[in-house]
Amino acid sequence: MQREAAAIRAHWLGRALSTLPADHPAAEAAISDLYRLIGLSPPRFHWVASPLAALETVPPGMRASESVGRVDDWPLPARFATCQNRLYGSIDAKVRPAQLPIDRLIRREVLFSLQGSVSRCLLPPVRRAHSWGFRRSRSPKWYDVLNVSQTAYRAALRDVAGVVLDDEQRRQFDLWTAVAASCHWWWPGEHVCVVSERPVALHTEVAENNGEVRLHHSTAPAVRYADGWAEYAWHGTTVPSWAIDQPTVQRIADEVNVEVRRCAIERLGWEAYIEQAGLWLVGAAPDPGNPGCELRLYDLPEGPRVLLAVNGSVERDGHRRRYGLTVPGHLDDPLAAAGWTYGLSGEQYSLLLRRT
Amino acid sequence: MTMTLDSLSLRTGLSVLDHLDRSVRIPVVDGLQAQGDLIVIPLPVVAEDVRLWDEPRWQDVPPEGVELLRGAAGGHPHTLVAEPGSCRWSTRVRDAHGLAIGVFAASAPVYLLHPEHGGSGCAPGTYVVRRQRERDGLRARLVAD
Repeated sequence: MQREAAAIRAHWLGRALSTLPADHPAAEAAISDLYRLIGLSPPRFHWVASPLAALETVPPGMRASESVGRVDDWPLPARFATCQNRLYGSIDAKVRPAQLPIDRLIRREVLFSLQGSVSRCLLPPVRRAHSWGFRRSRSPKWYDVLNVSQTAYRAALRDVAGVVLDDEQRRQFDLWTAVAASCHWWWPGEHVCVVSERPVALHTEVAENNGEVRLHHSTAPAVRYADGWAEYAWHGTTVPSWAIDQPTVQRIADEVNVEVRRCAIERLGWEAYIEQAGLWLVGAAPDPGNPGCELRLYDLPEGPRVLLAVNGSVERDGHRRRYGLTVPGHLDDPLAAAGWTYGLSGEQYSLLLRRT
Repeated sequence: MTMTLDSLSLRTGLSVLDHLDRSVRIPVVDGLQAQGDLIVIPLPVVAEDVRLWDEPRWQDVPPEGVELLRGAAGGHPHTLVAEPGSCRWSTRVRDAHGLAIGVFAASAPVYLLHPEHGGSGCAPGTYVVRRQRERDGLRARLVAD
């Protein structure tokens, strides 16, 4: 059961994070049918290379005030949302009490996992293009309607839990499936529908046990569109391009965002950063349980301190990796600092017998 | 019985990366041991901070082991492995520092296995397994290696 759910998740994640060119005829056909479903004639289509291009270009027939940045104020998204809610609600109503344990599994493995992956991977470029201000501010509801997690969840109810769709449900469901499989984000105006091409590159890593992924690339943009619009990310944190391309001690010092600072330091490497920034050594001590290796505690320009430690096991190339851990600024003993990272006192940590 | 990475890997079906020395005996000790971002602490050492619930609902560690924690990128797991019937495990634990993920009680040597970090052997006893944290602004965040 879990394996089936994971297979469905992988299939839909692949669709959502695809970097293949959009299938214009299929997307236009599916979107046209969705327009008909809410009682409208099909729109004209305006294809753009990226969400940024969607924001910057106003196609003929669209007023300048109808910027895609204000998509939630448009009349159609709410109507499509209602139409989708009604369909999915009617499918959910078919889940019988005996199927509830499977339903829970599908929610965890498919719905929540994909919800997380899509918002962590596909929303950041849109968010920056549209300057939605604070990082964690709510994105427009329209992006929830287009998040494939909702559709994938019903596909799993059908394929794993055995929920049977009637003809009308199947017809409508196939339209949402078809549009998700053929293009990137789209913005439905009354006469013109703006549709974005997919990114040409997208790099992720596994972030959670439920298969959720996040953006990451250590040397290049994590997301890149054909028109050059790009987003950089370090283990899921979106960062300015310099943090990946050219992290320097000076730029790190000038950065106000502590998360961006940490990412840029990790990209540079703690050891290199400590050396280049000339950080002051507060103290050093042998690492108990890790013979021949030292714990070194350094002062950072402000706030916390950093403990430079050596891995207990060798890397593939035979070296032992050094890594930095930030610790509270009041700690001045390397053993106490190492202990703190595990909720231990310096004395307790000094009892460490073995590190691997 | 002497356990090596090879014999442990063979018994559990869990793999370790091939650059680790697989023929060396895994030391079995009764004290604190760190395995990457995870630490094993004899319960008495942190008895003031870590308590089991009144009903811990112990679970036997199954032959295939218990996955304690999976790393972030790539997802390498730390797995607790024991002879059937020799170890039980509970996640119903309170920790003043919020770092404990569980407690295990072993009546024979048990092993923690990780593809990159290799094996750690624990002598019979009761141990707390904690995650590692680091400072992140004014808060702490958990380390995932």
